[in-house]
Amino acid sequence: MGRITLDQVQKKFGDVEVIPPLDLTIEDGEFVVFVGPSGCGKSTLLRLIAGLEDVSGGEIRIDGKPATDLPPAKRGLAMVFQSYALYPHMTVRKNITFPLKMAGMSEEEKKRRVDHAAEVLNLTDYLDRRPGQLSGGQRQRVAIGRAIVREPAAFLFDEPLSNLDAALRVGMRLEISELHERLATTMIYVTHDQVEAMTMADKIVVLRKGHIEQVGSPLELYRTPRNLFVAGFIGSPTMNLIDGDEAGNHEAQTIGIRPEHISVGDGPWQGTVGVSEHLGSDTFFHVHDTGLAETITVRAPGEVEHRAGDTIRLAPQMDKLHRFGSDGLRIA
Amino acid sequence: MATQHSRAAARIMIAPSVVLLLAWMLIPLGMTLYFSFLRYNLLMPGNNPFVGFENYAYFVTDPAFQAAIVNTLLLVGGILLITVVGGIGLAVLLDQPMWGTGIVRIMVISPFFVMPTVSALVWKNMFMNPVNGLFAYIADVLGMQPFDFLTQAPLASIIGIVSWQWLPFATLILLTAMQSLDSEQLEAAEMDGASAWSRFYHIKLPHLSRAITVVILIQTIFLLSIFAEILVTTNGGPGTASTNLTYLVYAESLLRFDVGTGSAGGVIAIILANIVAIFLMRMIGKNLDA
Amino acid sequence: MARAVTTKTKAINTAIAWTIAILIFFPILWTILTSFKTEGTAIADPPVFLFFDWTLDNYATVQERSNYFRHFMNSVVISVGSTVIGLIIAIPAAWAMAFVPGRQTKNVLMWMLSTKMLPPVGVLVPLYLIFRDWGLLDTRIGLIIVLTLINLPIIVWMLYTYFREIPNDILEAARMDGATLRSEVIYVLLPMAVPGIASTLLLNIILAWNEAFWTLNLTAANAAPLTAFIASYSSPEGLFYAKLSAASTMAIAPILIMGWFSQKQLVRGLTFGAVK
Repeated sequence: MGRITLDQVQKKFGDVEVIPPLDLTIEDGEFVVFVGPSGCGKSTLLRLIAGLEDVSGGEIRIDGKPATDLPPAKRGLAMVFQSYALYPHMTVRKNITFPLKMAGMSEEEKKRRVDHAAEVLNLTDYLDRRPGQLSGGQRQRVAIGRAIVREPAAFLFDEPLSNLDAALRVGMRLEISELHERLATTMIYVTHDQVEAMTMADKIVVLRKGHIEQVGSPLELYRTPRNLFVAGFIGSPTMNLIDGDEAGNHEAQTIGIRPEHISVGDGPWQGTVGVSEHLGSDTFFHVHDTGLAETITVRAPGEVEHRAGDTIRLAPQMDKLHRFGSDGLRIA
Repeated sequence: MATQHSRAAARIMIAPSVVLLLAWMLIPLGMTLYFSFLRYNLLMPGNNPFVGFENYAYFVTDPAFQAAIVNTLLLVGGILLITVVGGIGLAVLLDQPMWGTGIVRIMVISPFFVMPTVSALVWKNMFMNPVNGLFAYIADVLGMQPFDFLTQAPLASIIGIVSWQWLPFATLILLTAMQSLDSEQLEAAEMDGASAWSRFYHIKLPHLSRAITVVILIQTIFLLSIFAEILVTTNGGPGTASTNLTYLVYAESLLRFDVGTGSAGGVIAIILANIVAIFLMRMIGKNLDA
Repeated sequence: MARAVTTKTKAINTAIAWTIAILIFFPILWTILTSFKTEGTAIADPPVFLFFDWTLDNYATVQERSNYFRHFMNSVVISVGSTVIGLIIAIPAAWAMAFVPGRQTKNVLMWMLSTKMLPPVGVLVPLYLIFRDWGLLDTRIGLIIVLTLINLPIIVWMLYTYFREIPNDILEAARMDGATLRSEVIYVLLPMAVPGIASTLLLNIILAWNEAFWTLNLTAANAAPLTAFIASYSSPEGLFYAKLSAASTMAIAPILIMGWFSQKQLVRGLTFGAVK
């Protein structure tokens, strides 16, 4: 079980309020991702839940029980750190056994659980090595192994993939998602990478300057961003945001349209092709001189050839248009 | 970043060190200060009356005091000059490619590990002795008169002995600092056409400046308190020719048993050391933030 | 610089460096050699370097006449004792300052350092009187107390700089893994800090072994460690070079060997982390 409730949780460092009072509920078994630019307070929030920092106000409950004043060891949570934080002087087996040893578990139980975790994580052959002798991906698995043997109420991940190279990151992303499917334990995952958030989360919490900007499923955030910040943060390439007359035509301060919702061909907008990025599966055009915004990014499926300097016409899908008011909030 | 739990634990864990050092500093220091205002001689039992600054006046006007101040400055200055210049030279030399660097390094740093009394006695007897010392033999071979180092040039001899002990310290620190210099900087300078000398003067030396300051400050702290070397070689003599402030206070307190005057001298020594200490602490404090 | 250096340059460097190094090392070498000579050979004119009848008599004589072993043990007990006690007091403090830094941490560290700047002679008189009144003069325990206190700031500082290199993440991981403060220190911090603690131990034994202000002023025949014992050779009787050399060789050998092993740590310890 792992239902975590934050009630008016607040954090100050001295006089600086890094997290103004916020409420959040994480349901049992949910995969929740905290995402936001660096300095948005997402890691602090995670550390508050972990108990590595004291809250300055408010209450944290785990499965209904107050946990605000419990030390980290007593909260029944497990954490995977960005640096993996493996114990360099212990073998992989000892690393994974450590939390069980701290819990005073019997020898057989320890061995059974560690062997099981090692099997699940493909670490059986490495149990006698030290962390220094492992690759980045293997270290990551050991860190996860150390977390799962405890059978915690929830897993906390603090940017666990940011030290891995791109190829490995995609693989580990999948492994963590599979792990979540299998264990069905609550997971809280902190990242600055919106792709990780979109691909892994059941629920995304977008944070900025300690404020929750929006909470919702990946598709909710994609389809109905609550404000300009979320609109600009979620989605890649980022949404085109257009002010001025064109926005006025739609009775909004700003209108937004995603690159994938503009097609090249006959349409009301016209511009000059600048840089084009060919990914093979898609082609991104950066179009200038449309009279709308500095550049409009357009995503065309497949291999489309337009040279720099070509004039093209653009057709936005009007039903996928996002409208925002002068306060930056979405107009329904 | 931490929690209430760990903060409370931290306070308890720091407490023993702080309490002990506080006691170590305040109690004797307070006593020294107190004694320095009393007429208090262990050989003359009495009621130890309060005499104000009499001890200070007596200590400062003693001709030995002026000699001691001059000697202290000469000792510290002379040794610093020798060890810093020599240390830079040795550091540059040891930084060059050569065979047997490890052994050379070991030989060069060894004097630092020799206890002061041993090094002073070995130099005094086996090298500087005008009859049986090696220097006397060398002088003899060269057809010169043997020189009685510790009688004719006591202060210079002590400077020599202590420099030998501290040269390794300066060398080791400067060498460490030198080796932390990014070699790409030197390569860039070489590409820019800098000669070996300009590379040393414009890149290596500025890089060493911090380490040189540290060497000077730390050595000064220790050199202000040179004691054993003087005690076993010259006993501060002849006359007061090799008496430094530390030795003078020792003589006043434990040879003449004049607690009051000795304490006044101690207070003066503390003030002198503090002047140096302030600079040193600033240096190290800056480093803490880095 | 990763570059080929001409053999000639290297040979010249080697020649200069070895010459200077041997000159610097010579007094120590000469002392060691002299310790194996007879008193007559020790002052022979011209001096003999290697070709003499090597003898161990001096070592035996030194032990017989002055119970050398007793003073050696005094040195061992005092230097090891003060270092170990210092470590026990300093480890928790260094842990706290490295991992739970507060607003005052820096000030506390600087203040500790400032106690090290206190010239010993400034507190010689009161300490002598306290020792006299409490019966601590010429006792091992008295010297252990003083040396512990004078080296405590260095121990705290060295440990602090080593501890700070241990990532906080790992200690937090232990906390998340359910470790109490005690198990965190015993199972995670200490094993990771072993190299740092070992160097601190080594450097402090060296410093305590060679300390020659308090040992000379607070001991006499009974608790005198080697620094004070050797000083008794400053008023010689008859021929004594070989015996002085034997006593000196034994006094410096253990520390010389330890020092060679701790060169790198020495720099960090003596500069309070300002040069690494």
